[in-house]
Amino acid sequence: MKRWQRYGICITLGLLGGGALAVQAIRGGLNDGTVEIGPWQTGKSFGTVDASTLTRAKVALTGLLALPSKEAMYFTAQNDSDGRALDGRCTYVVRGGKLDGRWWSVTLYEGEGWLVKNAAKRWSVPASAVQTDEAGGWSFTVAPSAQAGTWLPTGSVPKFDLTLRLYHPSAMTIESPETAKLPTIERKECV
Amino acid sequence: MMRRWIFPILAGGILGVGAYQATLLATPYALMQAAMMKVGKQGPANQFAFAPMTTAENQTIVRPSPDLSYSTCVFDVSKGPVLVDVQPVPDHYWSVSIFDARTDVAAVRSDRDTKGKAARLALLKAGQTAPAGYEPVRVGYDRGIVLIRILVAPASTFPTIDAIRRKSTCKQL
Repeated sequence: MKRWQRYGICITLGLLGGGALAVQAIRGGLNDGTVEIGPWQTGKSFGTVDASTLTRAKVALTGLLALPSKEAMYFTAQNDSDGRALDGRCTYVVRGGKLDGRWWSVTLYEGEGWLVKNAAKRWSVPASAVQTDEAGGWSFTVAPSAQAGTWLPTGSVPKFDLTLRLYHPSAMTIESPETAKLPTIERKECV
Repeated sequence: MMRRWIFPILAGGILGVGAYQATLLATPYALMQAAMMKVGKQGPANQFAFAPMTTAENQTIVRPSPDLSYSTCVFDVSKGPVLVDVQPVPDHYWSVSIFDARTDVAAVRSDRDTKGKAARLALLKAGQTAPAGYEPVRVGYDRGIVLIRILVAPASTFPTIDAIRRKSTCKQL
């Protein structure tokens, strides 16, 4: 084999391999510089110049135009509280208490972050949609079919994630998101 | 035999690392460019487009919130400052954020920051100055997106909020 052929093969493989590894890293979960709180993940540097190159690329792919944490925090769950991947053919109970911010909502997405078509035309549960008890506790159901109480449809998609938006979070939550008291996601039956 | 491959493999490895970094660096610009093209279809540059409430059928930007109304303006400061005037919506969360071509936030102001008053921002590149009454916001790139978010709760308040937000402007000086 001639010298230029050896270089050609190695350079081509190097360029393709480097590009492919980058795409794989970007499409992977947000595990670069993120904090885990139960089933939820968040990052401290979304939307800021402090974000690493990898975090910026990942956020651009899955959460373009995200706000910095002083304005809003985004907590995303791809698994339930027992670590099992969220499955749109299963029923889940999301149960929480008072969240340390001005306003919150939980939105269901599939793929890189798209709302799921469903007959009920419901894609999120905002704070105003849940009933709170005397202790500030609340819950809602995520399921493929209609449920009593507040219901968030899954559209029966095989895989989904939930994003909890917390607008104007407290200084404590911004500084130490790992201390935030976030909802649990309990899996019930699957069809 | 193997010695002939050492330098080609090294060259391939170095370029592979370069390709990895270049892909990471280019991704935000490419996705932002695509977003500006999508948003740009809703209206000309330096002018707000007032989108309807997001549904599964009309989503254009990834991970939208169906509880927020979005108003977008693709700005271009190459020919002069761009002035952004945001009409406040009483008793509702709202914010205006400026994203540059690298997806970084150049500024974000909410009703909490303005104490419920209007936000008046002047988007400037190097060498440009803000007119009186406008808060200067330096952007590192000529183009980007201005995004107004307004919390719509309950959903029945959207027509009232829609009428108010349409008084917001984005225009070249």
